[in-house]
Amino acid sequence: MEISRDAYRAIEDIVGAENISDDPAFLDSYAFQWLAELVRPENSHYMPRPWAVVLPATTEEVQAIHRVCNKYGIKIKPISTGWYHWAAPMKDNEPTIQIDLRRMDKIISIDEKNMVAVVEPYVTCAQLQAEVMKLGLNINIIGAGCSTSIVASASTYFGAGPSSYYMGNNSDNLLGQEWVTPGGDVVLTGSLSSDCGWFCGEGPGPSLRGVTRGNMGSRGGLGTYTKCAIKLAPWHGAAVLEPQGPPPAYRLPIPENTRVYTIGVPSWDAFAETYLNIYDNEIGYIFHRQFNLAGADLAPALWLTYLRPDGTMNDVETASKDPEMQKLADEGRISFQIILQGRSVDEVKLQDKILDAIMAKTGAYKVGRFCEQDFAEFTHMYLQRLGHKHCNFIWVGGYMGSWMQAGIPDFVKNYSPVAIDGFYRDQKQSDGLVQCGGDALMGCGSSISGGGYFGFEQFVSYDPNDKASVQACVKHMYDAIDDCKANGIPLGKEYIYLMIGWPDEQIWNDFSKAPQTFVLHFQRKIKEHFDPRELGDRNYPWLPKGMGQPNFITQS
Amino acid sequence: MALEDFRADAMRCTRCAYCKWIPFDHVKSWKYAKGCPSIEAGKFHSYSAGGRLVTALSLMDGRSTVTPAVEDSVFKCTMCGLCDVSCKLCRYDMEPLAAMSELRATLVEDGHVPAQVEPILKSLRTEFNMLQKPRAERGNWAKELGLKDLSKEQAEVVFHAGCRYSFDGDLGHVAKASVKILKQAGLDFGIMGENESCCGGRAHTMGHRKDMHTRATHNLTAWKKAGVKTIVTPCSDCYHAFKRLYASTEGSEIQVLHMVEIVDQLLKDGKLKLTKAVNKKVTYHDPCHLGRQGEPFVAWNGVEKKIFGQAVAYEPARPRYNGAFGIYEAPRNILKAIPGLQFVEMERIKEAAWCCGSGGGCKETYPDFALSTANQRLDEAQSTGADAIVSACPWCERNFLDANQEGASKLEVLDIIALVEQAL
Ligand SMILES: Cc1cc2nc3c(=O)[nH]c(=O)nc-3n(C[C@H](O)[C@H](O)[C@@H](O)COP(=O)(O)OP(=O)(O)OC[C@H]3O[C@@H](n4cnc5c(N)ncnc54)[C@H](O)[C@@H]3O)c2cc1C
Ligand code: SF4
Ligand code: SF4
Repeated sequence: MEISRDAYRAIEDIVGAENISDDPAFLDSYAFQWLAELVRPENSHYMPRPWAVVLPATTEEVQAIHRVCNKYGIKIKPISTGWYHWAAPMKDNEPTIQIDLRRMDKIISIDEKNMVAVVEPYVTCAQLQAEVMKLGLNINIIGAGCSTSIVASASTYFGAGPSSYYMGNNSDNLLGQEWVTPGGDVVLTGSLSSDCGWFCGEGPGPSLRGVTRGNMGSRGGLGTYTKCAIKLAPWHGAAVLEPQGPPPAYRLPIPENTRVYTIGVPSWDAFAETYLNIYDNEIGYIFHRQFNLAGADLAPALWLTYLRPDGTMNDVETASKDPEMQKLADEGRISFQIILQGRSVDEVKLQDKILDAIMAKTGAYKVGRFCEQDFAEFTHMYLQRLGHKHCNFIWVGGYMGSWMQAGIPDFVKNYSPVAIDGFYRDQKQSDGLVQCGGDALMGCGSSISGGGYFGFEQFVSYDPNDKASVQACVKHMYDAIDDCKANGIPLGKEYIYLMIGWPDEQIWNDFSKAPQTFVLHFQRKIKEHFDPRELGDRNYPWLPKGMGQPNFITQS
Repeated sequence: MALEDFRADAMRCTRCAYCKWIPFDHVKSWKYAKGCPSIEAGKFHSYSAGGRLVTALSLMDGRSTVTPAVEDSVFKCTMCGLCDVSCKLCRYDMEPLAAMSELRATLVEDGHVPAQVEPILKSLRTEFNMLQKPRAERGNWAKELGLKDLSKEQAEVVFHAGCRYSFDGDLGHVAKASVKILKQAGLDFGIMGENESCCGGRAHTMGHRKDMHTRATHNLTAWKKAGVKTIVTPCSDCYHAFKRLYASTEGSEIQVLHMVEIVDQLLKDGKLKLTKAVNKKVTYHDPCHLGRQGEPFVAWNGVEKKIFGQAVAYEPARPRYNGAFGIYEAPRNILKAIPGLQFVEMERIKEAAWCCGSGGGCKETYPDFALSTANQRLDEAQSTGADAIVSACPWCERNFLDANQEGASKLEVLDIIALVEQAL
C-alpha cells in the first residue's frame, strides 16, 4: 500500500535520502519474520509489509518522524534487532512506517558506582555485557540471548532470562526511559524527569513503568523508546571473557569461585522440591533448564555431537541409537543447569556444600557426563553469554514455544506432565514435528526478579519450509489450548501467537471475558491520551468502551 | 546450483541477525562486536546475509524486482564469510555465503552488472589480470631471478605470484622474498612467468563464474602440461580459488599451499632459521580467504533427508565449513618464531576476524566502502598498541595501504613473508 509522496519526502527531509527506503525487496526483509507462517494466511512467511523503512539517528529525528506520521495518519512500528513477528506491522492494509533503530546504537553511560547503564535501542546485550564486565558488573540477558536489544527487553517486551533468578527481570531492572509517544511528545520517566539522573524508574518524577511496560510490554504498540536505564548486577568473574577452542562449542574456563553443574532429579516432585530449596537458600547465579530444548530423548546425542567442530546431524542420528546415549538421556531426563558464583572461593565452597545437602535431601544428582570439564566449560560459555540462543532453531529452523505459563514450582510441576503427554501425543499423530520425546520443556529459573516463580515452554520444532510441518505445528497450538482448558490450566504462549491472525473483534471478544477487564479499559484511556490518532498497533491491548464486565472504569 | 536450491535456506532463516555480529562468545567490547562490513555500510537489513536470503526469496516469488537498490545491496558485500561462521554457530542446515554467491551469479546472468566492473572484466578477459595491466609485464618481477619457466620446463611445484604481487609495485618484493625462501629450502619449483594467469577467484566472488571457469581451464591445462602437482602462493585470494573454488567447480585435486604453510613447516623441520631480530610490535590480520574460508575442500554430492521426523540431515553427511579448520596457527607460529618481534592480538581474530574490505570485488566496485571497512580494521589494530599490521594477502595489504594514505592510521602495513625475509 502506498502513502503519499509528500509524507515520504517529509521523512526523507528528516533523515536524509540514504536513510529511508520503500524498495519492495528491502521492505520484505522487514516483513519476513519467524513465526509468521503459523499465523498468517496461507502460512505465508511474511507479516504485512511496511510502507517504508526509516533509520533515525537521534531522539529528535524519531520525534519528527512521529509527527509526520500524525500529520498523515501513518502507523508507527519500531524495531530494534527484530527477532520476532512482534516487531513487524500487525495488519494488512494499514500504512505503517517501520522505524529501524540500528543507527541509535550507543552506550550513553555506565555509572559504575550506582550500577546503572544508559543505552540506546540498538545496543545488544552482548555489547553491554562485555563493557560492564570490565567494571565487575553484569546484566540480565533475556532468554532470547545476547543478540537482542537491551532496550527492547527492558522497555517493551517481557525481560526474563537465566540470570533473572539472581539479577532480576528486565521489566524491574528498568530504571528510566526516554519515550517518544505515538503523539510525538518526548516523555522522561522516573528520576530522570526531575533532573536527578537515571537511577530510579519510580521517581522522583512520574513512575510510568505500569503504563509503558507492565509484565508483557507494549511490543512496539505505544511509540518508540529511544533510551533506557538498566540496573546492573555484580560480576565476580574475569573482566573479559576468553572463550577457548574452535566453533561451534566454544568453552569458557571455570574459575575457582565458580561451579557449573547439570543436575538431574528423579521426578517432577523432586524437581519442585529441589528448586524451592535452592531458592530458599539463595544460592546460584544462573539457573536454567537449557539443553532440554532438543527434547529429553535426543539432548545428549545432539549436544555431545555439537561439541565436535565437524559433527553433523547425521552423527546426531547415529549417536541417538547408541545405548550409552540412551542411558544418558534417562539419567538427565528431568534436569537443569545451575551456575554458582561466589564473591570468594570460600563463598562458592559454601554454596557447593548447601547444594550437596539439598541434593541429598531431594534425591537430586549431578549428571556425570554433563559435569565433565569439556561439557561444563561449554555450558559455562553458553549460559554466561547466551550467545548460542539461535540453537533454539537447531533442528530445522522453526520452533514454536507452547505453554510457558509461569507460576510457583508446584504449579509448574503439575502442568509439566500435561504438556509432555500432549506434545508426545501430537508427535505420535503426525511426523510433521521433530520427534524428540514429549519433554522438550525449557525455561529460565525465574520469570520475576529473585526467583520463586518460573515457567517452561515446550520446544515444538517444525520445518518452516514444509507446509505440512507448519500445519502440524498450528494443530499442536490448538491442541495445547484444548489441553489447558481440559486441565483447568490458564492458556499459554500459543494463544497469544494465534491471536495475531485474528480480527480485532475476535480479540476483543476474548478480552472481554478476562477476569479484570478494567485493566484493558484503563489501557484504552492511556492510549487515548498518548496515541490519539491510533498510530500504535494492537500489541498494546485495550477494550472498546462498554465491552466486558462492567466495573468502575468500564463505563467512564 | 540455482537460486531455487537455496529456497530452503531462505525459508529457514530465522532473522536472528547473528550474521551481523562476530560469534557472540568472542565479543569483548561494544566497538568490535560488529562482524559484517556490509550492514555497517548499508544499514538496512537487506545488507546482511539474512536480508539477502529474503531478497532472494522475494525475487523468486515475484514479490519484488531487481532495482538499483537491490543491486547495490547484493554487490556491496565483501563475501568475507563472517556471516557464514556466525550463522552456522547454531545451525547445520544453512549456507548463507553460498546462497549470496548464487544470488550474485543470478543477477549477473540476468545482466545486472555494476558499470564499474566492465573495464575490470575486459582486462581479465584480454590481459588475464584484473588490474588492467599489460599481460606481457606479468613476469617482470622475476626477470633477474633465474627461475624455472614452467611454460617450457617441468617441475612438481609451481610458485603462483598472483595478479597483485605481480603488478603492484609496492608489493612485488613479497613474490621475490617468497622465491628466495623456497630456494633456500632447496625446493624444485618454477613459475609460469608471463603465462601465469589470474586465478579468477575474484571474478567468481563477483558473480562472474564463467570468467573463473575460463581462467581455471587455462591454469589447470598449463600446470598439467608442466607436470605440476603442488601450487604454492603467497596470495590468500589465489589460495582460496585454487583450494576451494577449483576443487568444487573444476574437480581439481592439485595440492595447494600458502607460503605461510610452507614456512611454518620449514621452521618446524629446522630447514629454515630465523636469526635476525625484527624489533617491532605487530598484530596479525587473518585474511578471510586463508582463515575462515581457507578450510580444506571436501567433495560432496548429496541430498537433504529428514531424521527424527523433521530435523534436517543430508545423505551422505554434508561437510561443514564453519571456520573451525582455517589456516590460523601457521602465521601465528611464524610471527612467534621471529626474534625480537612482539606479537599482539586484536579482538576479532581467526574465524571472527573483521574483513579488510577488499573482497567480493568491493575494492574495484565500491572503493569507498572498501576503504571505510579497512579503516575500521586499522582502528582495531591501532588499539592493540602495535606499530604494524601484518597480513598474508596482497589485497588486504593494498587496501590497508590505501586507507593509510587517506589518513586512517600510521601503522606500517607488512606482509608476513617480507617479515620472514627480514629475519633470515
Ligand atoms: C528465540 C527467542 C526466544 C525468546 N525468549 C525470550 C525469553 O526467554 N525471555 C524474554 O524476555 N523474551 C524472550 N523472547 C522475546 C524477546 O524478549 C523479544 O523478542 C525482544 O526483546 C528481542 O529483542 P529484539 O532486539 O530482537 O527486539 P525486536 O524484535 O526488535 O522488538 C521486540 C518488540 O519490541 C518492539 N520494540 C523494539 N524496540 C523498540 C523501541 N526502541 N521502542 C518501542 N518498541 C520497540 C518491537 O516493535 C517488538 O514488538 C524471545 C524471542 C526469541 C526470538
Ligand atoms: S542468515 Fe543465519 S544468522 Fe542470518 S538471520 Fe538468517 S538464520 Fe540468522
Ligand atoms: S560476506 Fe561479509 S560483508 Fe557480506 S554479508 Fe557476510 S559478513 Fe557481511
